[in-house]
Amino acid sequence: MKLSRYLLLRLGRTSLAAWAIISCIFLLSRLASGDALIRSVLDEAFTQPTITATERAETEALLRHRFGVDVPLFYLSFSTPPGATAPAWQWHGMTNQYHRWLESLLHGNLGYSYREGAAVADLLKSALQYTLPLTFLAAILAVALTFEFCIWLGSHPAWRSPILSTLYVVQSIPLFVIALVLLLLFANPDVFTWFPAYGLGSIDSFSPWTGALGQYLYHLVLPLLSLILVSVPSLAIQLNASIQMEAHALYVATARAKGVAPRAVVRRHIVRNALLPVLPLLTELVPNVVAGSVVVEMIFALPGMGRLLAEAASAQDYPVLLGAVLLVSLARLFSQLLADLLYQWIDPRIRLSA
Amino acid sequence: MKRRLQRINLIALGWLFLLLLGATIAPTSSPPPNLLLTTVAPFHSVHWLGTDPVGRDVWASLLAGARATLQISLPAALLSNILGGTLGAIAGYFGNNRLRIAYGWFAALVLMVSGICALMGPLWQSLGLLVVGAVGLSAGLGWLLSSSRWGSNLLSVPLDDMIQALIALLDSIPLLMLILTVAAIQQPSLSGLIALLTITCWTTPARLLRAATLRTVPLQFVMAAEAAGLPPLRIVRKHIWPTIWPVLLARIPLSIALIIGLETTLSFLGVGLPPEVASWGRLLASSRLAPTAWWLIVCPGTAIFLTIWSLQALTKAKSSTLLASTDVTK
Repeated sequence: MKLSRYLLLRLGRTSLAAWAIISCIFLLSRLASGDALIRSVLDEAFTQPTITATERAETEALLRHRFGVDVPLFYLSFSTPPGATAPAWQWHGMTNQYHRWLESLLHGNLGYSYREGAAVADLLKSALQYTLPLTFLAAILAVALTFEFCIWLGSHPAWRSPILSTLYVVQSIPLFVIALVLLLLFANPDVFTWFPAYGLGSIDSFSPWTGALGQYLYHLVLPLLSLILVSVPSLAIQLNASIQMEAHALYVATARAKGVAPRAVVRRHIVRNALLPVLPLLTELVPNVVAGSVVVEMIFALPGMGRLLAEAASAQDYPVLLGAVLLVSLARLFSQLLADLLYQWIDPRIRLSA
Repeated sequence: MKRRLQRINLIALGWLFLLLLGATIAPTSSPPPNLLLTTVAPFHSVHWLGTDPVGRDVWASLLAGARATLQISLPAALLSNILGGTLGAIAGYFGNNRLRIAYGWFAALVLMVSGICALMGPLWQSLGLLVVGAVGLSAGLGWLLSSSRWGSNLLSVPLDDMIQALIALLDSIPLLMLILTVAAIQQPSLSGLIALLTITCWTTPARLLRAATLRTVPLQFVMAAEAAGLPPLRIVRKHIWPTIWPVLLARIPLSIALIIGLETTLSFLGVGLPPEVASWGRLLASSRLAPTAWWLIVCPGTAIFLTIWSLQALTKAKSSTLLASTDVTK
């Protein structure tokens, strides 16, 4: 009972924050784009000078209606009304862009792309089908690798110093440099041509599904590797530090004394207690990997969400941009909820103070 | 171990010094691209680090990129740390009920703001007069109200909750996504990008300093200062700040590293700086036009890596010595 109330409160608070920031981004995008967008479309349409001013004005009105920017931006505005000289506060009621956007958002309609005219929800859906496997595989593999690695490191103290230095070095390389170097090393006709440089191959050409799956995974190797390389070091450094902290506890001495093997001491006794300080990092992992997929999908030309977002950003396709940001913040929301549940599961003594 | 740490420090400091030197001697005007020699490999007689697919010299681009990177990351890191540090210290010291204002002053403040908003339209021509008049009137009103029985009751301001809410607001989207989106919408200039990075990156310093302040506040010298009746802002500045600023000092290089990573990623994706500004990220992005040109990846990639690594290595050394010598909060 108490847990569910706490979770509801937490969910409400986080979604409030997400709603506020997405509203800010929406208002900012409409403020910045509105007129410029219409003008650019108009300039593209009317290259010949034979168009009269009235025709141009009519087309502009039509375009404004189509893009939904013919009504005021927000409920309230401080502007000069037509026919007056001084600016004044004006109440626009429910017919404003923000209200319409919010209403359609609550009905599950994310708007239509400026560039392609397709529904943003459809674009996101088709992109997610590529991004979800990539990000989840990367997150799961990164976590599994980190744990195995740290358990191994915990029982081989001689390796700790050199490996930690290496991890610190790898940690300071940005993701896009890692991805480009991997591309340069393993998908280059001059060095090694082990992996394909871009795309996902033509999946349809393989009739048995195992062949298609193999082809798919083969194309995902380099993107996965770069996402893992960028997320494992920080996790491993934290987990290792936490394991070192726990290693001096008395229960570890007890376990040693009763003859448990060093590896089993780390795996069965230490890791469970060392998990708590690492948990925030673990829950940040999924949102961070999703953010990282922007870069990775750009570099390896995968048709996923990150690429959709990056292209929408550079082409200023705001509905798509907003939809993608909304989805990412939802991912964040769920990972936070998951974190709260995990805290309870790991350490039931944690008090729930909201 | 100590000697090794010193050697690493020396390398890191040396690289950062070279970077500063390169950024200061970089020519302000880029040499015109040599269209006859595009994608030339390194160790060429004129362009000894090669050229990119449009014929620009890689060495000149690296120097100009160093300047642009430092021009953005240094001010942005300093400003975001100062902003975050101040907000974090305030949130940590004042908490939710240490700052109290009288109901009378609060009511006068609300009346002043709503009065200015309501009369802003009719008095648009003489806005300065309106503001001065409103401030004067509400000061008198606040004084009158706060001497009454109702107005002298104290209302506690939840500063901590407000600042935490701001942090939660900015943290509800991954940092890269947030900056990418806003940069795409606003298409910022150099100073705009600095402002954007400042207002999005202050949350981590704020959280760190809030925690450090919370550890310091229960100590006895703070209690003594409070008992002596010193004003709160003076306590924060003279008594708490000297014990918590090492945390900020250790954070600044990390912030610079983080911002360099963000900035290069943004320019790599083509939404950061305006296209005429040279940048390491843009140089790396040009490697996509010539996939086999390894020097277009290796040169700027090494520069980015060495810079971020040096900053992190310095922080590691500094925070360990700081912990030993000056940390009174542990």
